[in-house]
Amino acid sequence: MAKARAIVQRRAAVQNIKKITRTMELIATARFKKALDRATEAEAYTRKIAEIVADLGTTSLEVSHPLLQPHPEVKKSVLLVITSNRGLAGGYNGNVLRAANRSLQDFETDSLGVRLEVAGKRGINYFRFRGTPADATYTNFEDRPQFDEVNTLAEAYIAMYVSGEIDRLDVAYTRFINAAKQEAVVQTLLPMSASQVGQVVQSVRQKQAAAGAVAKHKGEAVPYEFLPDPKSILEEIVPVSFKVRLFKCFLDAAVSEQISRMVAMRGATENADAMVKSLTMLYNRARQAQITGELAEIIGGAAALE
Amino acid sequence: MSTADHAATHERLRCVVVTPERTLFDTPVESVTLPLFDGEIGILHGHTPLIGRLGYGELRTKDGNTVHRYFVDGGFAQVRDNVVTVLTNRATPAAAISAEGSARELEAAKARKATNELDQAEKTKAVDRARALVRVASHKS
Repeated sequence: MAKARAIVQRRAAVQNIKKITRTMELIATARFKKALDRATEAEAYTRKIAEIVADLGTTSLEVSHPLLQPHPEVKKSVLLVITSNRGLAGGYNGNVLRAANRSLQDFETDSLGVRLEVAGKRGINYFRFRGTPADATYTNFEDRPQFDEVNTLAEAYIAMYVSGEIDRLDVAYTRFINAAKQEAVVQTLLPMSASQVGQVVQSVRQKQAAAGAVAKHKGEAVPYEFLPDPKSILEEIVPVSFKVRLFKCFLDAAVSEQISRMVAMRGATENADAMVKSLTMLYNRARQAQITGELAEIIGGAAALE
Repeated sequence: MSTADHAATHERLRCVVVTPERTLFDTPVESVTLPLFDGEIGILHGHTPLIGRLGYGELRTKDGNTVHRYFVDGGFAQVRDNVVTVLTNRATPAAAISAEGSARELEAAKARKATNELDQAEKTKAVDRARALVRVASHKS
């Protein structure tokens, strides 16, 4: 009886785990929907900025802004790694950290000074374990990154870049391409190039829509009145564009995290299901073997009595 | 003025306020008053296309007798085809701004130390912003 009971216990445990992973999958799905909605809503702003830049572009002018000028000598660079605060998200954190490590090694071979900044507990713990603790850590970015928080971060980077404290800013995060595809990338946000100001990373669907809108615009060439003048507006747009790009990184990371967790938990639920099945089969077999054994004993006993 | 008012009841324009997080509102209104970098500008139906830089100040939308007031934190405005699009970091309903809070912010901004040009610019910005906050808070009816 002992073996059969052990199997029953194990099956109960697996069933419990299955319930948990199933719930986590549902939660992740709900959060993913919310995060995606937020990301889609946020695209209205970037689309509008792109539109204004396109409108300004028709006046064909040169922009000069400290953020657009690469520093002559790149000595110090910042690497911001965006990971999640919680685990159980499949390969999500691992992929980002691998990408971050690769670029850290590149920096090392180029003997660049690196200031490592990490968002998310998983990344912080990883780098602490590796013995390269981060210079700055953030744990306030959850699945709903707030623009205000990103804004203060962005302003700090802008100040550091303008004052020459840093010469480059890279962000390692998971880019959201579509619901089935996300990839860990390292993107250089500073210095910006003039063409990046209006161009924003968008999901494929929106990109087509935006391209259509811009094309439509060019045809019309609306005679705008500029207050104060196109140049200063464009100069003002440069930092805004940088902030939005940084914000977009955080939004993408949040969406990707929820998707990864959803997929990982779905896999776990399916595996638990398969395990329950095979354990049930094992249990039935053990039970039958036990009954057969008992029967044989009874028959043996009866035969001995005759 | 009365003829303009009369015309405005027929002709409306769309006011869209967009923040980096979401589209705050998208409603038809009669007139919009924007806080440009150098003063206010009123927009009615049929305004010429315009792109402007916003300062800190009050955004008012008027529709009939209802007036909505918001504090906007800089940004840009685009007027085109009777659509006013306001791009701003933050738009707070004026009712949500407390007079004491904004007064304290102004004090804090004034007390900031500025030792170099960059700090000075930052300080001026903060003071301007806090002043605008106080103004919007005090206009509250």
